[in-house]
Amino acid sequence: MTHAGYVAAGWIGAGVLIGGYAVTLVRRGRRLARQVPPGERRWS
Amino acid sequence: MTTTLPPRPAPGAARDEADAARPATTASPATRVLGAAALVATALLVLYGLVISPADREMADSVRLMYIHVPAATYLYVGCFFTTVASAMWLRRRTPGWDALAEAGAEIALVFSIITLGTGSLWGRPTWGTYWTWDARLTSTAVLTAMLVGYLALRRLELDPAARSTRAAVLGLLLVPNVIVVNRSVEWWRSLHQGSTLVKLDPSIEGTMLVALMVGFVAFGLIFAWLMVHRFRIAWLDQKADGLDLEAALAARRAESRAPTAPETEVTP
Repeated sequence: MTHAGYVAAGWIGAGVLIGGYAVTLVRRGRRLARQVPPGERRWS
Repeated sequence: MTTTLPPRPAPGAARDEADAARPATTASPATRVLGAAALVATALLVLYGLVISPADREMADSVRLMYIHVPAATYLYVGCFFTTVASAMWLRRRTPGWDALAEAGAEIALVFSIITLGTGSLWGRPTWGTYWTWDARLTSTAVLTAMLVGYLALRRLELDPAARSTRAAVLGLLLVPNVIVVNRSVEWWRSLHQGSTLVKLDPSIEGTMLVALMVGFVAFGLIFAWLMVHRFRIAWLDQKADGLDLEAALAARRAESRAPTAPETEVTP
């Protein structure tokens, strides 16, 4: 693999991991927020 | 002539309506701004890290991995710091907010530790000729990652929630001491890993490379903040949902005990 290949693997891997984790958090947050009375969601 | 007045709303009805109108999400206007800022900073990082900054004389293009590796390692430390401080506060105050903060910090620190180890390995292959070596910095970072996995596994045990949080907090207290070992390892032991690039009056990096690294710190900082806020709110909601489940179970049990028992039927021989 060339230097560019290692760089691409690192950047894409990091992007996919952070992006995937962020999407998981948003979905999990929506699911949990529906189970709790709106008054408990002080931020919204 | 008589006029009929509209019915007066019950006390708290307006608040109930406002509550019902709240969107079921962990987002807020502030996190939306934070998310937008993180996306802009990430776009700038891609521009500086992959396009504007030149290749290094020694590391060639693999220097571009440093623009994500170093910020990821830094925010791995920050996540551990949050967990250790929040664990200490949980042990002292026993308030659910500290427990939620400790959990959030550890999970995000694990994400950043995976990025740190992954990008470090990818950088090591063309630079050192190997993906992995049992070097002091690499080994101590792997130990820190294993501790984070253990901490999160401990939090998922089926135990009394307070006991579980206490046990996790004791492990959480050990994270910052381990971070100090990771950070100082290049000075305490002979190491392949280079020392600090920035924490000097005369940093060994300059020009657009320094700008790219600084943009990396800003982008990862904003991403870290966005993830922390959302993960904290999830932990908070999780605690509330668990409390509601417990209340529902207790109410069902009370209703069961109050229900009249069926009359015994007389058995005739």
